[in-house]
Amino acid sequence: MNAARWLGWLLPRAEREFVLGDLDELYGGGNRLRYALDLLRSAAILHAAQRRAAHRVSMQPAPFSKRGRFMSTLLTDLRYAFRTLARNPSFSFLALLTLVIGIGATTAIYSVVVPVLFQPLPYPGAERIVAIGERNDDGSEGNVGYLTFRDIEQTTTSFEAVAATSSWQPTLQGQSEPERLTGQRVTRGFFSVFGVRPAVGRDFTAEENVRGQHRVAILSHGLWVRRFGGDPSVIGKPVSMDGIQYIVVGVMPHGFQNLMSPQSEIWAPLGYEASLSWACRTCRHLRSVARIKEGTPLSQARQELSVVFGRIKAENTNDYAAGSGMVINPMQKRVTAAVRPALLVLLGAVGFVLLIACANVSGLLLGRAMQREGEFAIRGALGAGRWRVARQLLTESVLLSVIGAAGGVLVAWWAVRAIVAYGPPSLPRLQAIGINWGVLAFTAGLAVVAGIAFGLVPAVAAARPDLFSALRPGGRLTGQRSRRAARAGLVVIEMALALMLLAGAGLLMRSLHKLLAVDPGFDANHLLTMEVQTTGSRYGEDAPVRAFFDQAREAVLAVPGVVQAGWTSQLPLGGNFDGYGIQIEGRVLANPEDAPGADRYAVSPGYLEAMGIPLKRGRIIAREDATSAPPVVLINEAFAKLSWPGEDPIGKRIQMGGPDTPWRAIVGIVGDVRHTGLDAEISPQVYVPAVQWPWADGSMVLAARTTGNPEALLASVRGAIRGIDRDLPIIGAATMDEVIAQTATQRRFAFLVFQLFALVALLLAAAGVYGVLAGSVAERTREIGIRSALGASRSGVLRMVLSQGLRLTAAGMVLGGIGALLLSRFLEGMLFGVGTRDPVTLIGVAAVLVVTGLLACLAPALRAVRVSPLEALRGE
Amino acid sequence: MPNYLGEFEQLVMLALLHLGRDGYGITVRRELEERAGRSVSLGTVYKTLLRLEAKGYVGSTVGDPTPERGGRRKKLYFVTVPGRQALARSLAALKGMSRGLDPALTIQ
Repeated sequence: MNAARWLGWLLPRAEREFVLGDLDELYGGGNRLRYALDLLRSAAILHAAQRRAAHRVSMQPAPFSKRGRFMSTLLTDLRYAFRTLARNPSFSFLALLTLVIGIGATTAIYSVVVPVLFQPLPYPGAERIVAIGERNDDGSEGNVGYLTFRDIEQTTTSFEAVAATSSWQPTLQGQSEPERLTGQRVTRGFFSVFGVRPAVGRDFTAEENVRGQHRVAILSHGLWVRRFGGDPSVIGKPVSMDGIQYIVVGVMPHGFQNLMSPQSEIWAPLGYEASLSWACRTCRHLRSVARIKEGTPLSQARQELSVVFGRIKAENTNDYAAGSGMVINPMQKRVTAAVRPALLVLLGAVGFVLLIACANVSGLLLGRAMQREGEFAIRGALGAGRWRVARQLLTESVLLSVIGAAGGVLVAWWAVRAIVAYGPPSLPRLQAIGINWGVLAFTAGLAVVAGIAFGLVPAVAAARPDLFSALRPGGRLTGQRSRRAARAGLVVIEMALALMLLAGAGLLMRSLHKLLAVDPGFDANHLLTMEVQTTGSRYGEDAPVRAFFDQAREAVLAVPGVVQAGWTSQLPLGGNFDGYGIQIEGRVLANPEDAPGADRYAVSPGYLEAMGIPLKRGRIIAREDATSAPPVVLINEAFAKLSWPGEDPIGKRIQMGGPDTPWRAIVGIVGDVRHTGLDAEISPQVYVPAVQWPWADGSMVLAARTTGNPEALLASVRGAIRGIDRDLPIIGAATMDEVIAQTATQRRFAFLVFQLFALVALLLAAAGVYGVLAGSVAERTREIGIRSALGASRSGVLRMVLSQGLRLTAAGMVLGGIGALLLSRFLEGMLFGVGTRDPVTLIGVAAVLVVTGLLACLAPALRAVRVSPLEALRGE
Repeated sequence: MPNYLGEFEQLVMLALLHLGRDGYGITVRRELEERAGRSVSLGTVYKTLLRLEAKGYVGSTVGDPTPERGGRRKKLYFVTVPGRQALARSLAALKGMSRGLDPALTIQ
């Protein structure tokens, strides 16, 4: 109870120990809010009582103790502040609304960013968990082959546990609908790396890690409840997945999640052995995690890993590229790496919104301080010191911000729920996000700091009243110039900040538009896609799998409205890929690992036509390219340019995979498609006829071109496939437009948040301009009246007010423009196709700012025009 | 200095008498709530105890620290002899004033 120790200082010293003791006894560690409230009330009452008691004894007015005076003044000021706020409901409402928005937005973003980026991962000793892998080109940790992993596991000493995982999508069969699960096959140390044990049942044993004995499974808590009703007797029972019986041996505790594969709900042993063809060193498809031993620094583990890998490389020179190495990174960094820049930018942006809100309230308070000049002067005349008046004003502003913060927390609570519900699924650790004590403490601190920040300018300005002129009737003209200048300065700052946010939103919007305008390399309109997985004992051999996809294609083609359809092993932008090393005939590489890699698509006839991927040269895959015919491939233009610059690749032959695979002749060149993302580089791509591949891909994605709205045909296409085999899971049915939109969710989310912030900033800044001008017109009513009486034209008056407003806007624009140029580089990683200093964006947002500034001037300007000289002067 | 007791002061002193050697902030508040149905803040109790102490009607000693108080000591209050006399005077005055009224208002 640290806050209590601090608050205890407020109690009179003589009673402090006893009162704190009573409070501890009453509340224990429990209700902190009641504790604090009781303490504050007791402190105030006891100080007053002590003073009265002393007075009674000495018959002299006893002075307050220092602390007593503090408490008593605070209470008086608070009471007075409440009354002042209640007397000016429209002012209070405006100021509070501004603060609720500013503090609410900041609290919401803070409560998203901090848990995601900084809270330790939810595992014991989480800081010792690392991700390791062979170094990718960009320095991140890539996959490892099984033998590499085994050598590392056996020879390193820095780790308590090392594990390798491979992704696994088993189809769970049983009484109800077949369901495709996301899971992982893992080696023995997997759960030890995370330091979490199954809540029910047991972990995998060493024996179960051995091939042949690995048909056991551990369920996630969620899967256990969903499919097995949370029944503990499921332990030891068999479940059927992909037609194979697994014995359930354990259930993980509620809330356990492998953050590197958050969707995983089921785990089974990897069960590899060195002799398997897919366990080779170059078969890099395993991801590796490890737990460093207690007391071993990361740098030491990194050092050892590098030495061990150097040895492995020296012993197996043909399996590793010359520049290869190992990387080791803390899991926390790994999990948040993708979103860190975006979240930090959002945190910065919301800071701007808060600053604008503070500047706005500061301006409002300044405006009101002008109206209250008489009050301050009277207080000064009665002997109130400057500090006393300033303190009263600071109390008022902190009270405002504390009430604003209470409202802000409510806003944040809603906003956080919205973010969790609609946020991009790629945002890690969504479940760690929420309003908690840490967030509330942050908001409370924010409220006090903000209250002092926006109260300081008015308080200092009010502390120096000119008593003489302020009390003279009709003479509230002096001493206000500095205040008006301060207010104008605040508005300029607001405009500048708003422009910077607008520039950010503008850049993100242009990026999003440019991204979605990127040609994916195929025609996404009128395309329906869905994945079908063949599973179960019927599909144990290749022939029935091939027959199924063949028949299913015929059935889909028979659906009215479908004009073309085909299968592919990988769908562009579908979130997966399948890379192969390519050997080119006649170009012998000393190390096959240095061969170029290409994406493989095993496709059925009709796929390229259905997708609208254009044929550039040669011919397309035809029915004649049967299993027994000479093997053929199509390559994309990027591959042709990369490997056959200035040559005709048609007729050349390549091998895909190892040296014992067949040579395949290139018969055609097709257009490039964007595979991993619209913003990604185009990779070399190879299309092979599915029937000519050594094995049948068990899971294929359908691409069906339709005449009308593809969504309308979804049910009938699905029905056609079910008509061939109703037991197979159909996954991710969607139109291609939806698939593309899905790839841009994170950008879209960042843009939406930025747009919202910019809009709020613009509104607040406009309100600031309006406030300054309205105040100025009201003050100058008499002057304007005299001017019109002396013959000033209406347009002259209009020009006078508008030019004042535009001067503020222009100053804000210049300042904000400079700021935007300086700060936009932080957005760089989130931009696509536009520079950080994109002139179109900057000019556009400047125009928006000017229009907004003009609109804000309009009402005060019209009021000034309508000032009748008669009425203005009659007021005297 | 003729000192009369306010109604709440009377209640607090009666609570102390009931509590014997265990009268401090929390127990006094509890007695007030249980016997008189009065629910008041701790601060109000402290204020009254301090005022009665200043008048000389209650005295205080310091008790032993206990773990549930975070190792802090209690300030134990007791009714002094002048306090007992003043309370008796107050109650007698109440009794005298209520005598002869309708039974619901009469103090036995």
